[in-house]
Amino acid sequence: VAKTSLTSPPWPEVKLPDPVEEAKFHAEVVQKVNKMIAAGQYGRLFAVVHFASKQWKITSEDLIMMDNVLEAECGDRIRLEKVLLVGADDFTLIGRPLLGKDLVRVEATVIEKTESWPKINMRFWKRHKYQKKKIIVHPQTVLRINTIDIFPCLS
Amino acid sequence: MVVLSAARWVRSRLTDRFWRVQEVLKYARHFRGRKNRCYKLAVRSVRRAFVKSTRARREKKRFLRALWITRIEAASLEHGLKYPAFISNLFKSQVELNRKVIADLAIYEPKTFKSLAALAQRRRQEGFLAALGDGKEPEGIFSRIVRRY
Repeated sequence: VAKTSLTSPPWPEVKLPDPVEEAKFHAEVVQKVNKMIAAGQYGRLFAVVHFASKQWKITSEDLIMMDNVLEAECGDRIRLEKVLLVGADDFTLIGRPLLGKDLVRVEATVIEKTESWPKINMRFWKRHKYQKKKIIVHPQTVLRINTIDIFPCLS
Repeated sequence: MVVLSAARWVRSRLTDRFWRVQEVLKYARHFRGRKNRCYKLAVRSVRRAFVKSTRARREKKRFLRALWITRIEAASLEHGLKYPAFISNLFKSQVELNRKVIADLAIYEPKTFKSLAALAQRRRQEGFLAALGDGKEPEGIFSRIVRRY
């Protein structure tokens, strides 16, 4: 059959590696990472957490402020579930889309529950004698992330 | 005798005009020219400033998203992937990170971003292979069985 412009696809042909060898390689890597976690050979961990309908990239000892009310008193310890990604210097654990609760543990404390600065909403049409002014003050909560822990239960 | 209504010849005078004017001027103190001192000019400028700030609050979200997308595009081009390929393959592999977080990772965690780019590249190749199909020729037109009911 003659070769036309449509005989081969426009993308370059790629061969994927052998699935059996790949499975072995994956198992090796998983075991290595498990050993590293069990031995505690990681420095500072960072995590990507989905909380208050936003995603945050957090480390230990950092502050987070959200524009809503939490039903927890000041000083309560909170565990943040819904972790999307955890990483250290040498390895990253990417969740699809979430990581298991037995793998990561993120703890936070509620520090402050305040109101935001008064934001002004104003609408004005010129020459139409139309103006409205509204002052919006919404509640805010400040959390401090205490620790991020990972446990060696990969498979 | 009990007086229920105030006498008609008593006029009330405005006593807190200063504070009413200061309420508006306090928002104009950092403006340029006479509009930071004169009430008549300041009222107009302050009103325009409020309206612009409400509009800007809505547009800030669009602007930041475009910024994140530009940053992710630049970072993924460094790893040899274009932005649409990167994002679509990430979503197809069920990784639901939003653009803000991926842009932060690209800036502060280059190794993690490299692994995400490799993941997207691998998913892309698997997608191409799946699109190619079995590689056999399609059945001939005349050898196809047509059922007429």
